[in-house]
Amino acid sequence: MGIITISREFGSGGETVARLVAEKTGFLLVNKETVARGLNEFGIENPGLHLDSIVSKEEKNEAAENYIEAMHDFIYDLAIRNSLVILGRGGSILFHDFPPALHIRIIARFTYRVQRAMKLYDLNSATAVKLVKEQDRGKRQYYRRIFDANWNNLRQYDLVFDTEMVNLEDAADIIVSAYRIHAEPREVKDVPIGFEVEDRIAVPHSDEEADHFMHPSEEEFAHMLDFYRIRWEYEPRTFLLEWDSEGNVIEAFSPDFYLPDQELFIELTTQKPRQAWKKNRKIRRMKELYPEINVRLIDKKGFESLLRKHSKDTDEGEES
Amino acid sequence: MTEKRTYADEQLKVIITQQQIDEKIAELGRRISSDYAGKELILISVLRGSIYFLVDLTRSMNIPFAVDFISISQYGEHADSEDVVRITKDLDLSIKDRHVLIVEDIVDTGLSLGYLIRNLKTRNPADLKVCTLLDVEARRIVQVPVEYKGFDLPNIFVVGYGLDYNEKYRNLQFIAEFDRPH
Repeated sequence: MGIITISREFGSGGETVARLVAEKTGFLLVNKETVARGLNEFGIENPGLHLDSIVSKEEKNEAAENYIEAMHDFIYDLAIRNSLVILGRGGSILFHDFPPALHIRIIARFTYRVQRAMKLYDLNSATAVKLVKEQDRGKRQYYRRIFDANWNNLRQYDLVFDTEMVNLEDAADIIVSAYRIHAEPREVKDVPIGFEVEDRIAVPHSDEEADHFMHPSEEEFAHMLDFYRIRWEYEPRTFLLEWDSEGNVIEAFSPDFYLPDQELFIELTTQKPRQAWKKNRKIRRMKELYPEINVRLIDKKGFESLLRKHSKDTDEGEES
Repeated sequence: MTEKRTYADEQLKVIITQQQIDEKIAELGRRISSDYAGKELILISVLRGSIYFLVDLTRSMNIPFAVDFISISQYGEHADSEDVVRITKDLDLSIKDRHVLIVEDIVDTGLSLGYLIRNLKTRNPADLKVCTLLDVEARRIVQVPVEYKGFDLPNIFVVGYGLDYNEKYRNLQFIAEFDRPH
């Protein structure tokens, strides 16, 4: 089986690219409609509402969740027997762990997409702006709700096309060629390791590796966890906390650490209690919305007690 | 109402009095004596803070037992950040098939105790439980099972009854709140 997934911003021409790629490769095109038709044959009905708008709502909708689960099963089943071009539906996430898959993202500038939408649907500019925004928001929230993933994270794609720069036919041809190369890696003779002159840049001092930590206290904390051989992840998950009336996320929270063996999220703050109220509020809100998740705030005092106990300068603290 | 005591000319705020400690230890001693009656019990004291508690606890028990000591390195003791936790003084006795009770003065983050439990479990004791005089649950990072507990404490610094600050205050016969110099 071969898999090409195509994710697109609304109005970027992604549908056309997907259709062209399917035609050129002979792969089966899977989009919202084919999935709905396929599930219908199994007697599984779309819950009748617009899926994207259901999942963007805060409350749980069992019918929608069951339908989405059935849809994922259906796509996986389909992939066993067929080669697929999957348009949308979170394909890049569904086939993230399937290395032969090629993941494509189609984008274009917002104003360009608005102009396309105006022409395509014969809309005035205000309506087109609204439509493009709504559609993008729906896709973004679909990814968050269903996969807890960031739709706009371009790192999950192998190739990204800006259709203002590359026409749709060329994009399709490039994708087909890329897929063939990708599926059958060629033996590379002349560039064994791929290091070229441009790579001979100054290697950053190893201390700078820790730069991705936002704060020295976080780095210190990570060292301490390593010392005690506690597995940890840094900011692996973002919890949505607040939505406006249109369903836009206006507040979110990414705790600093997750300790998988403890199933515990940890947020560090070295701010004084008076400045830490915002974090405290976020954690309270998170506990309300996600009562099944364990989260703990280590405040200035708690962090100092860790350092006090675990630093040479102050030597032994309480526990010795 | 807060009782003040002096130590080396310092005023200390007593959190738990000597009498409260004595009563609690007597109660823990009774419970442990009854729970481990007829079992081959080995008490493991985690150096160095728990030795005061260990001595008084064992004197309040009326069953036979063995005692051994263990010490593990602490984060920040060495400049080398690549270092990982290790046992700096291991047990002299075997704990295989014996009933092990770890005796701690205080359990807070659970980081070192968690490591100790993981390590000792690989030696196949009959069972392994924890007895601590003080428990600061508010600071817990690693969940550790505490079977016997003297007192719950809020997130404060304390010294005394084995707990030190820069090796000071261990010999206080009470537990005092301690404001760390900033």
